[in-house]
Amino acid sequence: MTTAAAPALLEDTQLSSRAGGLYRHQNIVTGLIGGIGLGAIGWALSHQFLQGSNWGTDMVVTVTMAGWVIGLLLGIGAFNAPVLWMLGHDQTHEDELYLAGVGQGPRRYWKFCTDHKVVGVQYLIAVFTIFGVGGTLAMMIRTQLVSAHSSFLGANAYNAIVSVHGMAMIVATIIMVTGPFGNFIVPIMVGAKDMAFPRLNALSFWLLFAAVPPLLATFVLGGVDAGWTTYAPLSVQAPPAMDAFAITILTFAVSVTLSGINIIVTVLTMRAEGMTLNRLPIFTWGAVIGSALGLYAMPAFMVGMVMMITDRVSGTSFFVAAVGGSGWLWENIFWIMGHPEVYVILIPPVAAMLEVVSTFARKPIFAYKVTVGAFIAIIALSIMVWAHHMFTTGWAPDLNGPFMLTTELISIPTGIIFLCVIGTLWRGSIWTRLPMYWAYLFLWNFIIGGVTGIYLSDVPADNYFHGDMFVTAHFHYTLLGGAMIAAVAAFCYWFPKVSGRMLNERIGKVAFWMVAIGIQITYFGMFWEGFEGMPRRVAYYDPIFLHANQMATVGAYLLMAGFVVLLYAIIHSWVHGRPAPANPWHAKSLEWMVPTPVPLENFLVEPVVTADPYGYGEPEPAAPAAEPEREPVPVGSAETTAGEPV
Amino acid sequence: MSSDLAVKTREPDPLPPEKAPFFSRPSGKIFLIWLAMTVVGVLIGFYAPHHLLPTMLSVEGRAVWATVVLLTVLAAPVAAFVYGVGFYSLVAWRQRGYGQSDEPPPDGPPLRGNSGLTILWLVVSGVLVVVMLVWGLAELASENATHPNSLQVDVTGQQWLWTFSYPGAGNLETRSLVLPDNRTIVFHVTSEDVTHGFWPVELGVQVDANPNVVTTIQATTNKLGAFTVRCSQLCGLYHSFMYASGAVVTPQAFAVWLHAHGASALTASDVARVSSSS
Repeated sequence: MTTAAAPALLEDTQLSSRAGGLYRHQNIVTGLIGGIGLGAIGWALSHQFLQGSNWGTDMVVTVTMAGWVIGLLLGIGAFNAPVLWMLGHDQTHEDELYLAGVGQGPRRYWKFCTDHKVVGVQYLIAVFTIFGVGGTLAMMIRTQLVSAHSSFLGANAYNAIVSVHGMAMIVATIIMVTGPFGNFIVPIMVGAKDMAFPRLNALSFWLLFAAVPPLLATFVLGGVDAGWTTYAPLSVQAPPAMDAFAITILTFAVSVTLSGINIIVTVLTMRAEGMTLNRLPIFTWGAVIGSALGLYAMPAFMVGMVMMITDRVSGTSFFVAAVGGSGWLWENIFWIMGHPEVYVILIPPVAAMLEVVSTFARKPIFAYKVTVGAFIAIIALSIMVWAHHMFTTGWAPDLNGPFMLTTELISIPTGIIFLCVIGTLWRGSIWTRLPMYWAYLFLWNFIIGGVTGIYLSDVPADNYFHGDMFVTAHFHYTLLGGAMIAAVAAFCYWFPKVSGRMLNERIGKVAFWMVAIGIQITYFGMFWEGFEGMPRRVAYYDPIFLHANQMATVGAYLLMAGFVVLLYAIIHSWVHGRPAPANPWHAKSLEWMVPTPVPLENFLVEPVVTADPYGYGEPEPAAPAAEPEREPVPVGSAETTAGEPV
Repeated sequence: MSSDLAVKTREPDPLPPEKAPFFSRPSGKIFLIWLAMTVVGVLIGFYAPHHLLPTMLSVEGRAVWATVVLLTVLAAPVAAFVYGVGFYSLVAWRQRGYGQSDEPPPDGPPLRGNSGLTILWLVVSGVLVVVMLVWGLAELASENATHPNSLQVDVTGQQWLWTFSYPGAGNLETRSLVLPDNRTIVFHVTSEDVTHGFWPVELGVQVDANPNVVTTIQATTNKLGAFTVRCSQLCGLYHSFMYASGAVVTPQAFAVWLHAHGASALTASDVARVSSSS
């Protein structure tokens, strides 16, 4: 391709010293100043005027945290252009280029940047950071549980850590693929120059950034003692930490919603010529379908959390049975979000892993259309299964049968995913590079997660296993062993494109084996605890569960060590790795047809798609995904200007 | 770039698979792996619940055991098939020498789907779901059937202890749950503060204790022994310590126990009525 010959990339464009206006002076530092400043103002005002009331401290925390979020976004410049538009000033093309990071080098990663690739990398770093926090908390939990009556943490700290571990991991896993790769890869995959709404894209990242500090602040605000599920009325009575927790969720839910809309609109409207829906790479389908489900799930979470906040700061009693509310109302709202949400987590990484399987089996994806149909069937069913989390709550015993039906039906489309994977492996030319290792590990783990899920879907067995460690082991097998491992496969697959370097596979394979074995030891330990009858979320336990817990803790240390080794491999390769060619895997989708590093607005030539990207082993005419004959025209030159300012 | 993508198709396998004997074809070998792994899965299905679940003291507890065994037996062939193809692909179809190579192995055959196989897959998973569902609904119906002469027990959770009371026996209140053998017990469960989860572990049932609401669950005891009542719903600081001891005793011993704990409040006929299983 034209990597070396590209003469005038947008990055080299010289911008006038006034481009960007006020935004030139804004970055993460002004964002933090704005957030802390407005948070402090909010604290001072609310402390002055509201502290005396019945729910004073809750109001103060809510106002302060909301001030932090809004101040951060103001400080980083998220609202500059909309405000200017309202005042009648349009943004010039130069302003837009500056906003996309032109001419700012690495500094653009610390700014409100509209380039989808910058946002993707920002998301990637954020995901690693949140996983780091969640993983560290997991190690503290497992350390507490290494003996039956450990004094390592104490009951209150333990509950606070369990809650934040849960929420941090949910936040990280929801965005772990749609954030980094939905932003970096999807627009290139469909042949677009950027996301449909670049400014919203940047906003969704900085909302995520704003959501994390309140979550960590819960530790100094008394700790959330109600778990990440925050069942009422315990959560309504919880310390002020719960208000910060609610602000985290509200902010995060807005972020996920915006990002979801952006991905859907991008794929629906910005596809290159010839990129029909039948030719969409399956990961694109996964990102769209997962995001669409997020649009259903997240509003329920927002509504629930607004009701939770009003219960806490103004004495409404949606969820307090003693004054006419109902804890079951919260449980319903929560799980109407909560069960679709696991498929928001699962579908994008699984779809990304199918790309990996196809590339490294050197075969087309097996039963492509049926698999896309299965994804759609999964999300359709997933909005009708929420009450299987409530089989034993006593809310509606008569509905246990119907919800058992919908829950077990969902195993049919899920089974299609397995058919797709093994059909793609069938008679393939298995190329065992690092991404494929993780894809196989996904297959191993997700079967175990799925089989243990059917015990829980069956009411008579759930009557025993509900609320015990068996459930914990089951959903860690699906979400960590399944979704997150698939995400690691996707990460290893796209790392050369994102970083421009090859991942060190020797260290990566050491990490792989540590993680693979660690998962089995940890969660088989937890299955054992669950069979024996150990409840979830206990800081102290009956000594009869000791050996199972010790097994889980040993496994968890190995698992965490494996992830640390993987992180080392990533950082080492990002700095010292071998430079990556544009298409190291000899894959056929569009993101591999553009140069590495990917230029601003991605394509030197507007791509024309003539076939789907899975033409392995098929005759040449179907093979190239990009139109090769056209004369390369640098984007940004007179012929193809970058288009109207967005 | 497109010139790099010139199709290199693998050499055809030396012996056309269709003509080889069944067990030397991929499908035959996978069949053997599948059979072996299915047997292992079924053995695990019988072993794991038998050795890991506690000794169940009720009909419902026995149903937990049976359900786990049945579902494992149903799931084992499916899991074994996926694992079988996965393992076989690693052993037989892995292109040796390419593990560290930047050049990909030659492309595999362009199989894009097989509608017969897809339909078969859907039918098999559909049938398995129906079996699971019928089993679950049947168990559910038997667990919800009403029994005459059941023993009523009120259960109240509060942070962080359980209180049990026997309305038929002068509202005798205790901290440990004593139940007669061979009797259906109906638990009426509520909470004084936050949501708790009433879980008499070895009875194999549970239901949440919600404030201001009474939920019910029933279990039919069929074995003598001690059990533990745990809290299965995070309920605050000392959730870990919210447990109570329980025992299933003979009806005679139950009558004696009632007398010993509530003799002054009970008439002889009260005790006879509450403790009688007939």
